[in-house]
Amino acid sequence: MGLEKFKDRNIGTQNYKKLDLTHPPKSGWDRFKQVVSRTFKPELCIGLWVTLREMINALFRGKMHTTQYPLEKLPISPRYRAIHEMLRLLESGHYRCIGCGLCEKICISNCISMETRYDENQRKEVSEYTINFGRCIFCGYCAEVCPELAIVHGGRYETASEQRASFSLFEDMLTPIDKLNLQKEYQGFGAISPNADDNIKKTPLAY
Amino acid sequence: MSEIELVKNMISITIDGKEYKAKEGEYILNAARANDIFIPAICYLTRCSPTLACRICLVEADGKQVYSCNARVKEGMEIVTTTPNILEERRAIMEVYDVNHPLQCGVCDQSGECELQNYTLELAVDSQSYSIPDTKRETKNWSSVLHYDAGLCIVCERCTTVCKDMIGDSAIKTTKRGGSALDKSLKGSMPKDAYAMWNKLQKSIIAPSNGTEHTNCSDCGECIAVCPVGALVSRDFQYTTNAWDLKKIPATCAHCSSGCQIYYETKPTSISDRREKIYRVTNEWNYVSLCGAGRFGYDFENREVKKDKEAFKRAIEAFKKAKVINFTSVITNEEALMLQTLKEKLGVKLINREARAFQIFLDFYKQYSGKSLYSLDFKEIMASDFVISLGTSLRNDNPNARYAFNNVQKMNKGAGLYFHPVGDTLVPTFGRNILTFAHKVGHEEAVLLLLIELFSNKDELPDIVKEQLDREKLVELLGGDSKFEASFSKIMKKKEKFSLIVGEDLYFHPKAKNIVKLITILEKTSPIKVAMIPPKTNSLGVALICDLDDEAKGYTIGYNALGDFKFSALGDGDLDAPAMNQQEGTLTNMHKRVTPTNVALEYNGYTLHDIVKELLNIPTKYTIDWTPKLPINKGFKSIDFDSLPNGYSNDGTENRGYLLTEITSEAKEIDVDKFDENIALDGDIAYRCNPQRQFSDFTNKAHQIFEEFALYASPKRAEALGKRVVVEFDSGNLELDVKIDERMDGDIVAVPDFKSDKNIYELFGASRYQKVIIREV
Amino acid sequence: MDATMLPEVTAVGVIIKAILILAIISAIAGFGTYIERKVLAFMQRRLGPQHVGPYGLLQLAADGIKLFTKEDIIPQHANRLIFAVAPAITAATAFIALGAVPVFPDFTIPLVDVYVPSIASDVNVGILFVLGMMAAGLYGPLLAGMAQSNKWGLLGSARTAIQFLSYEVVTGLSLLAPIMLVGSLSFVDFNNYQSDGTWLVVYQPVAFILFLIAGYAETNRTPFDLLEHEAEIVSGYVTEYSGMRWGMFFIGEYANMITIGIIASIVFLGGYNDWWIFPGWIMILAKIAFSFFFMLWVRAAWPHVRPDQLMWLCWKVLMPLAVINVVITGIVMMAG
Repeated sequence: MGLEKFKDRNIGTQNYKKLDLTHPPKSGWDRFKQVVSRTFKPELCIGLWVTLREMINALFRGKMHTTQYPLEKLPISPRYRAIHEMLRLLESGHYRCIGCGLCEKICISNCISMETRYDENQRKEVSEYTINFGRCIFCGYCAEVCPELAIVHGGRYETASEQRASFSLFEDMLTPIDKLNLQKEYQGFGAISPNADDNIKKTPLAY
Repeated sequence: MSEIELVKNMISITIDGKEYKAKEGEYILNAARANDIFIPAICYLTRCSPTLACRICLVEADGKQVYSCNARVKEGMEIVTTTPNILEERRAIMEVYDVNHPLQCGVCDQSGECELQNYTLELAVDSQSYSIPDTKRETKNWSSVLHYDAGLCIVCERCTTVCKDMIGDSAIKTTKRGGSALDKSLKGSMPKDAYAMWNKLQKSIIAPSNGTEHTNCSDCGECIAVCPVGALVSRDFQYTTNAWDLKKIPATCAHCSSGCQIYYETKPTSISDRREKIYRVTNEWNYVSLCGAGRFGYDFENREVKKDKEAFKRAIEAFKKAKVINFTSVITNEEALMLQTLKEKLGVKLINREARAFQIFLDFYKQYSGKSLYSLDFKEIMASDFVISLGTSLRNDNPNARYAFNNVQKMNKGAGLYFHPVGDTLVPTFGRNILTFAHKVGHEEAVLLLLIELFSNKDELPDIVKEQLDREKLVELLGGDSKFEASFSKIMKKKEKFSLIVGEDLYFHPKAKNIVKLITILEKTSPIKVAMIPPKTNSLGVALICDLDDEAKGYTIGYNALGDFKFSALGDGDLDAPAMNQQEGTLTNMHKRVTPTNVALEYNGYTLHDIVKELLNIPTKYTIDWTPKLPINKGFKSIDFDSLPNGYSNDGTENRGYLLTEITSEAKEIDVDKFDENIALDGDIAYRCNPQRQFSDFTNKAHQIFEEFALYASPKRAEALGKRVVVEFDSGNLELDVKIDERMDGDIVAVPDFKSDKNIYELFGASRYQKVIIREV
Repeated sequence: MDATMLPEVTAVGVIIKAILILAIISAIAGFGTYIERKVLAFMQRRLGPQHVGPYGLLQLAADGIKLFTKEDIIPQHANRLIFAVAPAITAATAFIALGAVPVFPDFTIPLVDVYVPSIASDVNVGILFVLGMMAAGLYGPLLAGMAQSNKWGLLGSARTAIQFLSYEVVTGLSLLAPIMLVGSLSFVDFNNYQSDGTWLVVYQPVAFILFLIAGYAETNRTPFDLLEHEAEIVSGYVTEYSGMRWGMFFIGEYANMITIGIIASIVFLGGYNDWWIFPGWIMILAKIAFSFFFMLWVRAAWPHVRPDQLMWLCWKVLMPLAVINVVITGIVMMAG
């Protein structure tokens, strides 16, 4: 498509409104008048007042914004994709993973690895499972592809550690058996987060 | 069948409106496949008889609905692969297969390469119209390697078909399931073929055919290979990995002279050990069938080898002062050529007993027939309809020869003659038209005389042969019964193509030369063509490439064999060598084909190539740089390793490596010796013969091959011998456990030779049979 | 002047005062950085330094340790001598300027009965001396920027030249009117002039505003911190500086801020005279503190100006206004 055609294309009827902006001063006198009017309008003082007001708000009205991070933590979205959790079946307490290997296959950074074997109950048993968090990009494909909702993302986002292995083995990710009652069911991808209502706020830039 | 014949027999057919060529008398399915046309089929196996279990291969031929797997093409036939009715049938069939099939694809080993998955998706089954109460089907371990999950089984009968038609064990069969009966009203309402298929499926399940819980078979695992679903899986492989995680490495099996096409399937060993490990071996099961050694004997690699510079230095010294190199036939053509080069340059003697015997035999054959190679390959034997086996324990020596013998009986309405001193109870079960002769050891010449008498044109025979042809006497001498005449004329009916398999017994025969002469005469004067079984993996290649010596003394280097300095891939040598699954190179198999094999597992040590390079200062970089240098005057071709093909085309044509060229020369005058029946051995006889899945130290190293190094005997004989015996040879004694081989018959006992350190060849000397004294310990 | 003010006592006193100025002002300058961070944080509803000491008070110690121990890097192609001397110029001129500035009312040390004038040196041309010293301070950034062989540094020093020189004119002219009223160049006289409680800012509001604007420009404070405008020229004249050399620039800057605060307090805001019930020294401290706070406040509230706007403001607005202010003051004085 040539540029002419591009300019002539049918873009439909537009209903833009033009703001009534004042025109820039043309003569020197006009400019001087503008300076004078700006000088004696207390516009600068408005800025000073805003900053002072916020200071008063912060110091005396308890509106300080800072979260003192390692001491205080903000609640994160339940859909947050941090360190994985391996869930258990609520009834039996047995881990849900069946060792199908789909997470291993779909993993785009090739960081999931597992070992399976034929166990005494003639079932496929996951004997080892590991995620290399040095490589994981937390894309969430593993959780999405899991047919058993066995691997999900958790909220543990503080992933600095002396050893990568500290949280990459099966047992570390598995819900501890004594905390089975605290295990949260995964809502699935795209589900509205439970605290969605709380997150709706008026735009804080009232001024 | 030669090329010209093929072209002559081509007819034209029309498939879906397009014209194609097909071989006359071929099944429609195979003709379509050869022309790259897809017709769904679950139960059909290319080289076996159609089972008509799945009925999904329905097509319309000349307006009639037929099963393409068992309808043959005719000139001008018009075939339509899909009609609305056929599609309806196929979809109904797939729906029925999916009824009660456990939804455990997540853990199933077949997931990803499952034909049930594939066809369910291919035919877009997105809803289920049928249902029936399920029956509990137990999971069973049939043998030390076979695991059968009846719940997953769709009773396509491929396993039973391959076991019967190809392997010959017939160890499994369909049996009653005890499932609920179908609702009779379905008969009218659902598609006809789907109903018939379901009716049969609902009634049957697979079980060992001997009525017990366990199969009595050679544990070849071919049933595992052909199983379209996850019902049959090797016990060792079960649930250890997923199909898609495995890397397929095309290779040639290194255990016997069949040189079968295989894939080593590898994946890292474990989470902590990222080195590759072979998880299983698979094959193109439509075109090649493996034995138990090939399928399960894969982990014979030389592990944890590093470049040991000191050992390498010592090896160079050893090679410099060596007078003899003693080696086995488990070696590539390239390595054989290197050894031959060492002989030429350094003057060492090359010792390889099995290949030497074969080499002499081949030399005689060349002298008297004028051909450097035997006439038939084993594919051609499969195409014959009368097959004779002489001088080989068919069951043990070479699985592919046995499969061919069996396949001829099953597929070609064939017949067979089996001559062997050691009785075998399995061979007669291959077909009804098999006559077996347990002749005396040493009477192989008489067998050939009988064959000449039976098949040859008497006018062309030399007088000395004619004189000896006394049919009645020969039959009696060889242990045939009185009804021989009648049964022979019965099995000879309508037979056109005759083949003779000869084996190792003849190469190690004191009268080998005379035997070759008789074979040559037989070939010249009768329609019988001969095929030989090279004794070990690459014996044919070694026999062609190396200039072997009979006897040699002095400082010896053993390459995977005994010697003063051991260069060994078994991990016990003075310098480590790569095993065959860690090497690339070519092998010459009994089909007279030079096939490539590739590296499946890492090897970091020194190879023979490094030694030869150091010794002779040859500027090659890899072992495979020697591939194009293989001797052309022996039938090899000058082709680079990397341009060797390795696969099969859809019509079953083998595109692996290349075929050896036959070199013809002037034939010598034949002067036959007179047969002396007194050379027969009497008394206790030991036969040098390995158990079914053992071939060499390498099979023995594999963890799924359990057959022990023991004395094998028929049940009756074993009972008489006791638990453990000493076998006294002329040149030494051997103490062995006694094991029962249920398929052996007669009094001859088998002593295996797969352990090179036992030096069995030394005990047996120049013959495969020895008179021995057996004492119980 | 009392009889106890012996020459030798005066000499010792001057040395003591010089040391006190150096110690206290540099400490206050460091403390100023803490205050600045805290105030800016509060105005943005943040907490500011929090973890070193109570309320982060020891942050300045931490920063000091950091600055002292940090590696001192001199770039390969820099003029080493000038590069090394430049920070000293800024710091030295800032402290020297403080030598002629009275901070407190004179007082007598109890017990020893020593009379102490709270000025190191009551030069009779005090204002000129202070202004001159501050003007000489421009050599610090100018040389630093030119010596470091860095284009950002060079731009920074170019801006130093125009900004400092230009606004020197405004500072001088804006102070000229009060000087005319007081009739002296001594700060003590300025203070005494306002002892009746009427601040000079009442007579000279325009001069006060002009002085503040020019003062901000000369101390390189927002909205006129173009010398090291990080959005435009990385760090301007301090781009290549690290460690204590960098620190000296900033001690100088904060000392200058205090100087401007003192001048503004003494010249325009009534100096250290007692006011109502508050003694003079508290008054002057409060005035200086407010003046300092106002600088921070302005920084939190207002944006930067562009260099061309800066020049335009100086030569086309402020300077004419200052001249007019002087003329009017003169006419009023002559008329009065």
